[in-house]
Amino acid sequence: MGDDDQQHGGYQIDLGNLTAFDPHHQFSSVPDSREDLVKECIAHGTKLIQAVADALFNLPSTEDASGPIVSLPPPSTKLPREKPLPKPKPPTKWEVFAKKKGIQNRKKDKLVYDEQTSSWKRRHGYDRVNDDNDIPIIEAKMTDEPGVDPFAKRRSEKKQRVDKQEKNCLHNLKEASKVGALPSHVQLAATALPITGTQAAPRKVSKDELQNVAGMAATSTASGGKFDKKLAGEKPPKHDKKYRKFLPVVEGSGMGSLEKQQSDKILNKLMSKNSHEIFNVGKAVDMYNAKSDKKRRNQQGKSSSTSSKLKVKNSPYKNKPTKKSSTKGKSK
Amino acid sequence: MRPLDESETTQVFEKLFKFTGNNLKNIVESPSHEGPDQTPGRYCFRLHKNRVYYVSESLVKRATNIKRENLVALGTNIGKFTKSGKFHLTIQALNLLAANAKHKVWLKPTSEMSFLYGNDVIKGGLGRITDNINAYDGVVVFSMSDVALGFGIAAKSTQDCRKMDPNGLVVIRQADTGEYLRNQEDL
Repeated sequence: MGDDDQQHGGYQIDLGNLTAFDPHHQFSSVPDSREDLVKECIAHGTKLIQAVADALFNLPSTEDASGPIVSLPPPSTKLPREKPLPKPKPPTKWEVFAKKKGIQNRKKDKLVYDEQTSSWKRRHGYDRVNDDNDIPIIEAKMTDEPGVDPFAKRRSEKKQRVDKQEKNCLHNLKEASKVGALPSHVQLAATALPITGTQAAPRKVSKDELQNVAGMAATSTASGGKFDKKLAGEKPPKHDKKYRKFLPVVEGSGMGSLEKQQSDKILNKLMSKNSHEIFNVGKAVDMYNAKSDKKRRNQQGKSSSTSSKLKVKNSPYKNKPTKKSSTKGKSK
Repeated sequence: MRPLDESETTQVFEKLFKFTGNNLKNIVESPSHEGPDQTPGRYCFRLHKNRVYYVSESLVKRATNIKRENLVALGTNIGKFTKSGKFHLTIQALNLLAANAKHKVWLKPTSEMSFLYGNDVIKGGLGRITDNINAYDGVVVFSMSDVALGFGIAAKSTQDCRKMDPNGLVVIRQADTGEYLRNQEDL
């Protein structure tokens, strides 16, 4: 019927994405201002939306309490891939071996008939068919040495088999990661490997950082890491017993110099903060003296520059205290 | 017993300064003639179980021989630190403060008893008052015969005191000698 991609009035309607495209649209004349352009586009857009709505209502609908419900068809527009195509993973060790030998993969059933109990038991999991732990008696063979525990031997053999399988699994993953075809859940877990597409280089952790983090981890237990067994070579935690440092109680014969210093410092700070004499008295006195000296020197200078006619006539019989002082100033 | 650290010393000195002003120097640096040594040592402050003691150096040295649990008190207890770290002066500091007080208030004989029972000082009970007291200054309360009765905070400055009506508060009581009988267990 082709109602996914309806040619409805020349528009291509993709109901899966609820979109409509007009491939034949041309601007008859490009409008000058942005607002006019916007208006025209909106007007044309409404026509397209109308087409989508028409197509929607033409679909077969089912009735529901809130109204007719329509199931949308799958989308027809092909959108480009978000991530690159996954790389083909290299064959695992077993796959290589199987191909070489020509071994076919046979499908196994979940239930297997157990001869002993003559019932159907599952192949893996709880109450399985050939469970290793269920064997009550193992008959001794001629090749068995006395003193060897056959149950323990079976357990160790199984463990070996499991370890071998783990090793193979790891090897396969390594091969895959070399090509870049790691399965995504493993890739997310392995934060050391960069994600395809990004170039994030693995960050080297420094020794100090590691020590720091190790210290934090060690103390983040319920009792602050005090009672944990230390590994060989682990240094004891850095904190000493003392958490505050006080001045010594008695130094010499009573008060120590440190304490004296501290109390004097605080005393002086307090006194100076609350004293209302904002100026330095000594400095003020010096400044005053200097000023008065300067003044006296200027006065003498002025008096010598004037002509002798204007000078006060000095009677030799009068007391001349001024002259004495001026000589004093000059000698200074 | 340990010496005070910086923040604690500042708190103690500030509280003392409110009452003594510049005479604080006399308190901190006064020579003490206790003990058998010839050269007089100084007085120092020690903290023991949240109480601050004003002790002479010679006494401190000898007190280190007593176990911490067995030591009850030493020297003069001048105040204590509360649970939230604030410092309060107690009545035992009265002698020290009275000797170096900057602002004094003398009470009339009629209102002495009222003050000793724990009431604040009203203007009607005021005998004499030193000049230039600012509001909320530390003030030491004396009787007319110059016996120290206690100390407190001035509610108003001297000028305002003169203008006030006779039932107004002058001194907010902080400690008085009546506490020796009332609060025997706390001291």
